[in-house]
Amino acid sequence: MVDVRSDLDAALLAAHAKGDGFELSRLYADAADQAERDQDTDAVCFFLTQAYVSALETGLPSASVLNQRLVQYGREVVQADLMS
Amino acid sequence: MNAPAGLKTVLKDVAKAKGLPNAHYIDPAVFEEERHHVLYANWAGIGFGKDIPEIGDAKPVDFLGMPLLLVRDEDGAINVYQNTCRHRGMILVEEPQKIRGAIRCPYHSWCYTLKGALRTTPHVGGPGTNIHDDIKRDELGLLRVRAHVWQDVVFVNIDGQAAPFEEANAGLLERWKEFEKPTFHGGAAASFKLDVKTNWKLAVENYCESYHLPWVHPGLNSYSRLEDHYHIEERGFYSGQGTLVYRQLTSEGGAVFPDFEGLSDKWDTGAEYISVYPNVLMGVHRDHTYAIILEPVALAETVEHIEIYYAEPPEHLPDGLVEANSKQWKEVFVEDVFVVEGMQKGRQGILFDGGKFSPAMDGPTHNFHHWVATNIEAGRAKSA
Ligand code: FES
Ligand SMILES: [Fe+2]
Repeated sequence: MVDVRSDLDAALLAAHAKGDGFELSRLYADAADQAERDQDTDAVCFFLTQAYVSALETGLPSASVLNQRLVQYGREVVQADLMS
Repeated sequence: MNAPAGLKTVLKDVAKAKGLPNAHYIDPAVFEEERHHVLYANWAGIGFGKDIPEIGDAKPVDFLGMPLLLVRDEDGAINVYQNTCRHRGMILVEEPQKIRGAIRCPYHSWCYTLKGALRTTPHVGGPGTNIHDDIKRDELGLLRVRAHVWQDVVFVNIDGQAAPFEEANAGLLERWKEFEKPTFHGGAAASFKLDVKTNWKLAVENYCESYHLPWVHPGLNSYSRLEDHYHIEERGFYSGQGTLVYRQLTSEGGAVFPDFEGLSDKWDTGAEYISVYPNVLMGVHRDHTYAIILEPVALAETVEHIEIYYAEPPEHLPDGLVEANSKQWKEVFVEDVFVVEGMQKGRQGILFDGGKFSPAMDGPTHNFHHWVATNIEAGRAKSA
């Protein structure tokens, strides 16, 4: 069986090393989705936060959705201007 | 080495005054005083708008040890921040770069908008929690440094106590109001810098005066003679020189640079060169302007950043003329290097008393000394 966690870790390390914000944000958002399926809220919010920061830094439109997801968990405040 | 007694003679009329004492050029303690009382207390030039032309462009600048960050925001405005994260004081941006979204601190990833607002504080309330009652984001934005852009020069007043730029420089703005129009940087060929082993003030002083022209710039003498120059001196504000015989640079094929629109006749053959205290040297002509920022790197180390601007973008200018104009100016500025470095060396002579001004020729230089001395005395009185 494939070790999902270590595959993800390797991909994250590679994206961090390249400074690839788009890839980082995508990988962390995937990890958040997985944690959501596992119903591990702290892990979800950790990964969402990582995805959110990369999206913010890179100027990705997905920052808005990530912000909303964190707000729904009560872990972040609304950044209305991200919607525009 | 405190020299308040020496400054009394600096503040006299030019005929009786002495120049600033040696300590102002060679004593690290006085350099430190000038940092605060002169360079941080007034509107100093630290950069050019053309270096951050697009939204999101960010450029770190070290101004006498103070880390600053120039950022062009979504509205096209230039902002200057202290380049220090509000969390643990990490330097935020170390290299010029394009900020695509947020300014992210490389340490714990607090993120700031281009307008300096604190956008997020990841994990600040524990893993996965980005909020905390005691982290008030609206109180933790980037610290803004007072800035003003004029003629593409970014001026800052670090201590925040100076009069507004338009007030502090009202006389000069009025004098040169005909040049308040769009200017275009001439591109890579219109940009150069010189490293000079001198105190920044000597570069200002040399720029103010025309007395040295026949000796240091003999090439200018053929068409721009000493008697064609006049002094510019506004006590407490600025000084420099003007010429009555500016001649446009002409290519072999007879092409010249386009003129700025709507200039009065005075500028047909007139040009002016003014030291915008403390550290910006400017020149205006019918067909180009330039600005020199003197970056005071250390007591006896100055970088001169020279940028030349035209009435139209470089692609509309005659072929090769931008290069030729830069070459001509660079020759002049390089000719000045040995004197500003030589005056720096000369000030190691402990018997030098600040020097004796020519009442006829050194007024603009004295005007600068008077301004520096006034600022130093005011600063000393405040911190006493
Ligand atoms: S020092 Fe900048 S986020 Fe911690
Ligand atoms: Fe000169």
